[in-house]
Amino acid sequence: MSALPVAQDAIDAAAGDEAEAVVLTERSGLARFAGREVHQPTLIDNVVVTLRVVRDGKVGIAATNRVEPDGLRELARRAGQAADSSVATPGFPGLAPPADPPDVQGWDEETAALGPDEQAHRAAAAIAATTTGVYGFFTSGETELAIASTAGVRTSQSMTDATTIVVAADRGCSGYAEASSWRARSLDPAAVAREAAEKASRTNGAAAADPARYRAVLEPYAIGTLLEYFGFDTFGAQALLEERSYFSGRIGQRAFDEKVTIVDDALDPRGLPKAFDFEGMPKQRVPLVEDGVIRGVVWDRATAARASNGAHSTGHAPPASLLAHGPFPAALQMTGGDAESIEELAELVGDGIYVTRLHYLSVVDPREGVITGMTRDGTFRIRGGKVAEPLVNLRFTVSVPELLADVPGLTRDLTLVNGSDFYGERYPFGALVPALATASFNVTGSGSRPGL
Amino acid sequence: MRALCETAVEAALAAGASYADARAVVRRNQQVMTKNRRVETVTDVESEGIGVRVLVDGAWGFACDRRLTEQGAREAAARACAFARAAPSADGRALAPITPAQAHYVTARERDPIEVPLEEKVGLCIAAEEALQLPQVNVTQASVRAQKEQKVLVTSDGSVVEHEQVECGGGIDAMAAGDGGFQIRSYPTAHNGLSAQAGWEFVEGLDLVGHAPRVTEQAVALLTADPCPSEVTDVVIDAEQMALQVHESVGHPTELDRIYGTEASYAGTSFIQPGDLGSLRYGSEHMNITSDATTERGLGTFSYDDEGVAAVREPIVREGVLAGFLTSRETAAKIGAGAGGSMRADTWNRMPLVRMTNLHLEPGEGTKDELIAGVKKGVYLETNKSWSIDDKRLNFQFGTQIAWEIRDGKLGRMLRDATYTGITPVFWGSLDGVAGPEEWVLHGVTNCGKGQPGQGAHVSHGTSPARFRGVQVGIKS
Repeated sequence: MSALPVAQDAIDAAAGDEAEAVVLTERSGLARFAGREVHQPTLIDNVVVTLRVVRDGKVGIAATNRVEPDGLRELARRAGQAADSSVATPGFPGLAPPADPPDVQGWDEETAALGPDEQAHRAAAAIAATTTGVYGFFTSGETELAIASTAGVRTSQSMTDATTIVVAADRGCSGYAEASSWRARSLDPAAVAREAAEKASRTNGAAAADPARYRAVLEPYAIGTLLEYFGFDTFGAQALLEERSYFSGRIGQRAFDEKVTIVDDALDPRGLPKAFDFEGMPKQRVPLVEDGVIRGVVWDRATAARASNGAHSTGHAPPASLLAHGPFPAALQMTGGDAESIEELAELVGDGIYVTRLHYLSVVDPREGVITGMTRDGTFRIRGGKVAEPLVNLRFTVSVPELLADVPGLTRDLTLVNGSDFYGERYPFGALVPALATASFNVTGSGSRPGL
Repeated sequence: MRALCETAVEAALAAGASYADARAVVRRNQQVMTKNRRVETVTDVESEGIGVRVLVDGAWGFACDRRLTEQGAREAAARACAFARAAPSADGRALAPITPAQAHYVTARERDPIEVPLEEKVGLCIAAEEALQLPQVNVTQASVRAQKEQKVLVTSDGSVVEHEQVECGGGIDAMAAGDGGFQIRSYPTAHNGLSAQAGWEFVEGLDLVGHAPRVTEQAVALLTADPCPSEVTDVVIDAEQMALQVHESVGHPTELDRIYGTEASYAGTSFIQPGDLGSLRYGSEHMNITSDATTERGLGTFSYDDEGVAAVREPIVREGVLAGFLTSRETAAKIGAGAGGSMRADTWNRMPLVRMTNLHLEPGEGTKDELIAGVKKGVYLETNKSWSIDDKRLNFQFGTQIAWEIRDGKLGRMLRDATYTGITPVFWGSLDGVAGPEEWVLHGVTNCGKGQPGQGAHVSHGTSPARFRGVQVGIKS
């Protein structure tokens, strides 16, 4: 099903109103495996139309997956009713004007064509690659985002994505690896499984570590997750305006090591490219931190209008389900450094902790960027500049700004770390990040042993 | 919808499935949120479709179709069988036997929450926000939600279950920023308010407007409160935070699919082993945990679960000893006990998983004040702010919005940025008192995540305030 005609039909159904229709289609398969076989294979085919109607400055939103004429008529009726029930929003900037989205990559015919046989085959390849038990999935999907409005927006983008994640685990040992791309052929599920199994093989006999502030190496999987959580409350305009962001009152200040540069760049073909946001505004590359100096946040039109400080949309309007959260970055990227390998980072650390991945993060204090969570599936001591004996999963409670204030090094190569857990409608995103060495990783406790 | 489900099941059996179930769902959901006296969102979302789950030669397959038509039902069944064949099972799967059921369940309510006019919902949020206003508060917000779901389940072993369930809820928040950091206070609970499976009279009974002045005054007071000290001390935890404590450190680790490793790649596994049933010392003798899918107003209340197993009430921890698991027909067959009863799917386009239904900490005796009176030096913790627990559900750390020191059995100064941490069985072993039935409150959790692709679940926890001895509080970054 092509999304743009559906968006146009929804606008037509709302005849007489200012209206904007956002259509997101999904056709995907996910072969989830545990132990030696697939146990949760899920095929999804859906289309969701979200209609925003404006009446006398009052905004109402309705959504449906009934895209036939009667479904869209009912959608328009409910959106109009929602608008009538609302109160005019002071400073509402109106619907977005038409704009030319940039040309981006991000759709691959071969990936779009993958069906259940191929998805199951790739999952089987991961399972067969190692004698260690493997737990994870292969998924691929094709999505299309289309927007039409009475203000003249007519735009659409087709996207593909594929991800394999593997936890290789047996009693007392586990390791993790993942790979994501908009081209499925770039993924080698067997290689991902072997990487996870090799890591698992080194985690038997894990010991506890004393709570202390350690020097540490964080693999891209860990850095990607940490940045994503830090970004929830730090990199968006709404958090800035509400003084919830660490960046509140600090724009222009040096807050991080000068090796730290962070941008949001949905245009980069190495990531999962996007051309426009959920109101059709073109995606822009947004500097968030440059050489350790805080530069800014991402904006949508609503927050820019509210700020009244010359800010403008950077192409980060959220979907309707996340409107209350405001704009957020979904294509974070950290610039790499000079290290040719993670082993070089371990040498820079000398004595410390090696972290493969993080688990169950939670923001303790958004204003100070304090986050807690656990390490998982591959935590080790670093001794004498070498990765040494395995550790149990460690609880950390870190100030992210402090963690990024002294960065001995970063790898040159970047890894795309999947950011989607595939809740709700599929909209693939991830972070493109290096491995990083830090002088400050605050361990506050020890938890479970690796493995099953 | 019943006919469509029957068509899907017949099509799956004809395509070679040895077992099939089909769920048709029509869901409507409304959300209203105001922030800083501005309407943030008024949304009215509907979604419908059919999901078909099959067993073919012992392998699961699942596919769905948004079309509630005969063609949609047949195609979903065919694709589910094709996916199952593409990923064959080496060992096959057994399902615990059930007695086929014919049931029709409707949520008891006075006012259908979806039928309450959106104007009334907007008006309630605005009124609550007006009552939150103080000069030092920089963000106020109010939200209400309503949901109605019609669901039909047909299984190839003869069950036909029809549900019409409604949920609703609401809450308010006040946020203040200053030298004391960023502080938030919420009522009735954090994270989008309190929900129940009930009519709109439940939201009306929350009295959001009446509680607003206290909420906003506390948010401001927290800016000048002292930080929670870092020490090992006795704690009394309010009923709302206890709900999350039960959820994370008892609910998830007793899900039998986690114990068998099928969530290892995402939510994690468990520190419990199948053989621990009846012998594992989970906590002190004051700890009694019950799973109850029959609780009035519970978000996890139903007549039959999403594979046709009857709702039950059964002990999970009895006087501190592990007494039960949350199970599916497949995991129950593996362990050779029970018949499942905890299988729930997020919606029509997701497979059912083992999920909590309603999981309660049974009340003890006395009041919260009496628990506090039994503490010479300690901290009273109230309303969740942050939460994290390891993949086996052992090491946890929670933060609360507000706390007070306890001195000689009485509340003292207010404390901000309170956190506490522990290891699950050690922590529950330090439980030495649970307040009585008069303080027992049902809390709805609407953001429970599990599965790949991810699924949300709505569950409830009945809890009373509880007292623990020798707990680490005030974790520093």
